[in-house]
Amino acid sequence: MHTLELVGVSSGYGGKQVLHDITFKAQESAIYVVLGPNGAGKTTLFRTIAGILEPYSGQVLFDGADLTRTKAARKRINYLSHYNAIPEEMTVRHALDFYARIEGGDVDMVLSLLDLEELQNKKVSDLSQGQKKRVSIAKVFLDERDLYLLDEPTSNLDPAVSKEIRDMLLRLSKDRIVLYSSHNLYEARDVGTNLILVRNGKIDYFDKISNIKSKEYRVGIKTTTDISKIVDAKLGDGGYYVLSVSTPEEAGLALKKLIENGVLVTEMRQLDNPLQELFEGRHDQGSSEKEGLN
Amino acid sequence: MSGDQGMMIAKRSVSLSKAYPIMGVFLALLGLLISSVSGILRGLPTSGIPASSAGGLDITTALPLVSVALQAFAGIVFSTPVLLLFVYDKNNGVLEYFLSLGMTQRDVYRQYLKAALMLSAGLVAFAVVIDIAAGLLDGMNGLLLLEVCGLVVAMTLPAVSFGTLVMMSFSSLQKQRVGSNQPLGMAIAVFIVMPAYLVPFVVPPLAFEIDLVLAGLIVVFSVLMYLASSRLISREKLLP
Repeated sequence: MHTLELVGVSSGYGGKQVLHDITFKAQESAIYVVLGPNGAGKTTLFRTIAGILEPYSGQVLFDGADLTRTKAARKRINYLSHYNAIPEEMTVRHALDFYARIEGGDVDMVLSLLDLEELQNKKVSDLSQGQKKRVSIAKVFLDERDLYLLDEPTSNLDPAVSKEIRDMLLRLSKDRIVLYSSHNLYEARDVGTNLILVRNGKIDYFDKISNIKSKEYRVGIKTTTDISKIVDAKLGDGGYYVLSVSTPEEAGLALKKLIENGVLVTEMRQLDNPLQELFEGRHDQGSSEKEGLN
Repeated sequence: MSGDQGMMIAKRSVSLSKAYPIMGVFLALLGLLISSVSGILRGLPTSGIPASSAGGLDITTALPLVSVALQAFAGIVFSTPVLLLFVYDKNNGVLEYFLSLGMTQRDVYRQYLKAALMLSAGLVAFAVVIDIAAGLLDGMNGLLLLEVCGLVVAMTLPAVSFGTLVMMSFSSLQKQRVGSNQPLGMAIAVFIVMPAYLVPFVVPPLAFEIDLVLAGLIVVFSVLMYLASSRLISREKLLP
């Protein structure tokens, strides 16, 4: 079990403060999704934790060791910038060799893991953006670390590769802390168990995603018959009957009622993403625990 | 970062741009040619050419000293791809990656400086060997040959060091991250060796001594620049 703790961290560029007095404690092996609008300070947060930026004040502690002062502690981190950071004049294999010489690791293993074997003798400059991203991610998996800081790891990737990456991260997160930023709220909900919402350089929300309470749940139901007379649902876009309820339990009761009335339900899903509401500031502030906030 | 990092950067630099190394070799050969002309002139009848007079211009001594300045310039040009790589690595996030390993900004500079010195040292070694061979064939004065070879080393390596540090500093000190003031560093490095072109013609009797003082000054500037680099330049200026 590892612990990442930020205590009163302020940081920025050239004296211009971007992060303001950030405090949180991640003490569960899990994927922490970092969300926030453009310019909110997500990348600055990653760079400060990775020791790239020296905080103006505060401490970044990983298992009690100050990451801003201890080089040994820094070796326990794997950081993926949203820039690819690959020498583009090299071939894929040479680029990964370059990083393996610095940090160690098995190049053949990551070539196979990221399905890069066929590309290994191609110059990085000749690859597509998505392929470059795969090489960049391969670099992160060269060697296992205790803390992964991944700034938009799945941008530019096709859905199949994105899913593979997410599956790898889910496996990794069983005994490690993974901080993962994304602009895709559906992906964030799929992959993350915890959420760090950054807004204007401050932590706006820090909690489990499952604890996010919506003011209203809209549930889409697909059936073979008209159900509008059984439950209070109206036919909407995509052939779904849309049911508005105030708790997930109410949706379960509606389903039970439909089944009791002999309705064949072919699909049922939540139409709104609670992260969307949170992102847009529409979530129920009062009902969610705001642990470890600054 | 391991000790062979400088070598890796040097190799990457050359693979990024071959035009500069080719131009550097060309300039070094030009310098050697000018130096060798003195030997040819020495073998010619001197009527009409004021070959030597007390305190006056001796063209057979002046030309090898002029070639020193040209070879220092060749060294700067030869190692310029290191700077191009530095800017390129800054823009694509490689320098950010180095910082994430726990390197300081000075550690980063040192690796690129080492690479520039490795490249120029290779060119200097090549030039010195050719200088000696050509000098011996030409029958150049042994002391002059020694002075020329010594000056090539003493002036080229500090000039490259100074030029590289100035160029890296310019790339980091400018306000705009995507600015492109780096070539100014090269211009300053070329400017600082400029007196070495003129001294053999203006004050021939003191040319060697003045060149040595100049080389010493460049060493001092380089060391000061290196020591000041991490204070002058913040880490975030190495980020893309």
